[in-house]
Parts: sequence; structure tokens; C-alpha cells
Amino acid sequence: MAARFLKLCKLFLFIQKSNIKTAFLNKADALINVIMMTINNLSFAFMWWVIFENKGSVNGWQFGEMALLFAVMNNAFATFALFARGIQLLPEYIDNGNLDNFLTTPKNSLFLISTSESTFANWGDYITGFLMYFLSGYVNWKSFWMMMLCSFLAFILLYSFRLIMSCLAFIISDSQRLGDNIFMALLTFASQPASIFTGWYKVLFLTIIPAGMISFYPVNLIKAFNWEDFLALTIGISIFWLSSLLFYHWGLKHYSSGNRFGVR
Amino acid sequence: MTNIIEVSQLTKKFKLQKPSSGLKSFFKPEYKNVTAVDRISFDIKKGERVAFIGPNGAGKSTTIKMLSSILYPTSGTALVNGLVPWDNRKKLAYDIGTVFGQRSQLWYNLPVQDSFALMGKIYDLDEIPFKRRLSKLVKLFEIRDLLEHPTRSLSLGQRMRCEIVASLLHKPQILFLDEPTIGLDVTAKEIIRNLIKKQALEEDTTLLLTSHDTDDMEKVCERVIIINKGKLIFNDSISALRDSYLNKKYIEVTTENGEKIKTVVNTKEKPAKQAIDELVKKYHVTDMTIENPPMEEIIKEIYNRG
Repeated sequence: MAARFLKLCKLFLFIQKSNIKTAFLNKADALINVIMMTINNLSFAFMWWVIFENKGSVNGWQFGEMALLFAVMNNAFATFALFARGIQLLPEYIDNGNLDNFLTTPKNSLFLISTSESTFANWGDYITGFLMYFLSGYVNWKSFWMMMLCSFLAFILLYSFRLIMSCLAFIISDSQRLGDNIFMALLTFASQPASIFTGWYKVLFLTIIPAGMISFYPVNLIKAFNWEDFLALTIGISIFWLSSLLFYHWGLKHYSSGNRFGVR
Repeated sequence: MTNIIEVSQLTKKFKLQKPSSGLKSFFKPEYKNVTAVDRISFDIKKGERVAFIGPNGAGKSTTIKMLSSILYPTSGTALVNGLVPWDNRKKLAYDIGTVFGQRSQLWYNLPVQDSFALMGKIYDLDEIPFKRRLSKLVKLFEIRDLLEHPTRSLSLGQRMRCEIVASLLHKPQILFLDEPTIGLDVTAKEIIRNLIKKQALEEDTTLLLTSHDTDDMEKVCERVIIINKGKLIFNDSISALRDSYLNKKYIEVTTENGEKIKTVVNTKEKPAKQAIDELVKKYHVTDMTIENPPMEEIIKEIYNRG
């Protein structure tokens, strides 16, 4: 078991090395993309800073909370885009039959699909994520490790949610755009102050479009850890994680494999 | 010799949505069942080279995909090297190699050698045996000059040679080749066929090759299974097929004034050489092609003879 895990880690590192090598085929382009991604993220954060400077707070949220949200959100999305973006291409793999390549190898197909695509520009999200944490005003070792843990949990949620959307392709053909749009809706909801969602919106915000698991709980936990929020977050994410895996394995049994010409 | 592949009553049905416009079909879509593979049974012995032949849509690829653990069957059973493919996907992957002519398992932007290295890691190959194996295959398939090129820059024929090498790196006992010569020109097809056969003989690899090109089976395989509309209609040696159904040659000559003359020769009655000599004597021939009967005609003939 341990040896198998070690081999998988080695493979993961090798794939990442290959991804970086591919990105660095044009070094200037890769680095400019990282810088532009950082500027783009910071301009969005700047917009919220202006709003909070003028409004003071939005239902109890101030710029500090917003910065913590950006920290979690950017770090989670960077991890997704750099190490698991392939899952976003799953509908395409299903439609054109490229999924076959992943199913005939001795490794976990989901692992290989996830790591099959990486966007180098998203290193800019990590830069923004850490910068926003340091600007939040909640900087100490305890909050730092909580921010890291919440970022990882938020990544699992993004991954699970995107996997569920991608698996729709087992049922609906050409569902790439549908999945992209719903995933984008999650990211958009998660980028707003969690305090604006109340009543039924909050229920929706924590269930069907689980943006609250990226914004509401993590920000509360980083500010002041409490077991109730932590359990709610981990149980919620675990449900999404298990559901996505079940959906994927159900999909494989119904996979019909296409024959469109193509390459990886 | 023991059977390495055993297939019994294997069936695959697909549920396809009926094309229709209107709002009703959006909320209540209608489906129809299509039987792609219909209760086929056959065995393949270790080291055998078997062609799986049939026209487009016959069910060849679907069968190969079930045997290589990609698809789950609707009913029936199969054992590949003693394993039920769809229940033992990861374990079986070490025993089989797959090549799909219509798509690539190599990474598009990476140099070919990096794709091979990645495949080596995926199959847990140790550094030194991997290098030894790669070096042997590179020599056999004559791809040394291609190693540093990214996949995207290769021609179809070059890519196919690299695809086959990638699928052989872990020394599989069984190689599934799905239309490996599709889209290739005559010369490239010939090279690929020779290399596949040479490798299989050298390492006693069991081959299951699908194609709708009868030349692929004649040049590479010793046994042929023909399926049509999902049903197995012929399962015998190539020589048996040749004696019974491949005894016609289609000869087309082009004369010096550009006229094309087509003739069909029954080689049981007249050797092809004699027919060619007669044509050459009669016309001033500038070009000539000789072909086997098309797949559709062979299948029609099999049905006609019951």
C-alpha cells in the first residue's frame, strides 16, 4: 500500500515536471501569463477594497474577511487549475473517446485524467492568495495553518463539484459548456461576501451551489476556530466528494466510447 | 496451446436518443436500443495473430473495447489472460497493450521520448529495464530520429509507429490493435504491417487486430474472425478464407491514352500472373492496381453461401 502510494507520488511529480516543461516551451509567454493573472486578481480585490472603504461593512463583513475569502478561493483554485484541471476536460474525453486511453492503464483513471491538463498561469492565483492573506489583518501561525487547511478543503470541493458536472457527459452529449457554466456560477457565488446570503439563499448557498463551503465556513474558521463549523464543512465536503466518485464510477459503467479522431 | 482469450455470448447494446426537435423531446426524450455486438463467442490461443474484420459499424471496435476493459458488456462473459476485463481493469492493464488508430496515447506537445518516459512511470517500469526495452523497440520500429520531436509534428505513419512502441513498452502478452493502418498511405501501411508481424513473432505476442482492410489480415494474421452487424459470421484460418472467398482479384490498368480498364479474375481458374500478361500484351499499360474484393462483397458471398 505504502509502496503503491509512493509510486503514485513519483508519477505525480513526473507529470508536473512534464507540465512545467510544456509550459516553458515559451518561457516569456508563461511568465507574462502568471503576472497578468496576478494583476487581474488584484484588480478584483482592489474593487472590493474601494467598496468597503466607502461602505464600511456589508452585513458585518469588512475588507479583512473579504481578503481571507480571496486567500482561500485563490489558493483552492490554483491547486485545482495546476494539478487537477484535466477533470474539466472529462466531458470532451467522454465525447470523443479519449477516455479510453486512461482506462487501459494500470493507474487510477481519475488521477491520470485530473493531471492530464495544467494551466501554468494559475501560479498567479497562489501569489494573490498568499498576498491577500497577509493583507487580511488576521495574520498569525494558527490562522495561517487554518487558511492552508481550508484552502485544501475548498480545493476538494471545487474538484468534486466539477467532477459531478463533468460526469453529466456520461448522460448528456456535448455538455462541456453546461458544466463550465455551472462551475463558473459556483466560483462567482463563492467570490461574494458570504454575509449577503440569508434565509433560503443561504440554504441554496450551502447545498446545491455549495459556495458557502468556500467562503462562509473557511472565513469563520480562520478568524476563530470552532468545531461546529469545522464539522459542517468537512461533512459537507465529504458528501460532495463521495457523490462525485459514485457518479464517476456509475458513469464508467454506462460509458459508450466514441471514435472521433484526435490526440491527447 | 492454452486459450489466452475466451469469449462467450458477449453482447453489447447501446441506448441511443432518437433525434427529434421540439420541447417534448427535451423533457421526455425517446430512446432506441442498438445491438452493437450480438452474442459472439470465440477463443484465441497464446501467440495467435487474429484479424477481426468487418465493415464500418460491424461491432469490431466495441468488442475490442470490451476485451480491453474500456466498456462493460450488456451480457455474456470474457476472460483475457484469465481475468474478466471489466472487473480487473488495473491488473489486466499490465498484460495488454492497446493501439487505437483513430486517437493518440502520446502527449500532444511533449517530445516522443518524454511520452515514453511517462508511459514507463505509469507502468511502474524500473529505469534500467525500461531503457533496455525502449532501446530495443526504437531499433525495431526505426524511430530513433523521431524521439526528440513533439507528437504534434509527426506524420500519421510516424505517429503510428510511436503509438505501437508506447503500447509495447511494458511487454504485454496481448496486443489489441484497432484500425492501426487507418488513414495511412500504401507504403506506410506496408511498413506498419511488417513491423507488427515481426514484433509479434519475435516476442510471441498474441495479436487481435481490427480492420476493414482485408490486406491487413492477409499480411499480418493467421486466423480471421469476420463480424457483420454485431454477429460472428466467419471464424477460420486465412487460407480457408482465401480458398473460399479471396479467390478473386480486381485488376485495373491504365492505358497510354488514359483509358482505365477494369477486370475481375478468378484465381482458381486463371492465375493472376496470366491475366496480367494478357492485359499487358493487349494494351500499352502505363499503370496497374491489383486489389482483393472489398469487405462488403466477401460478406455478401458468405451470406449467399449460407
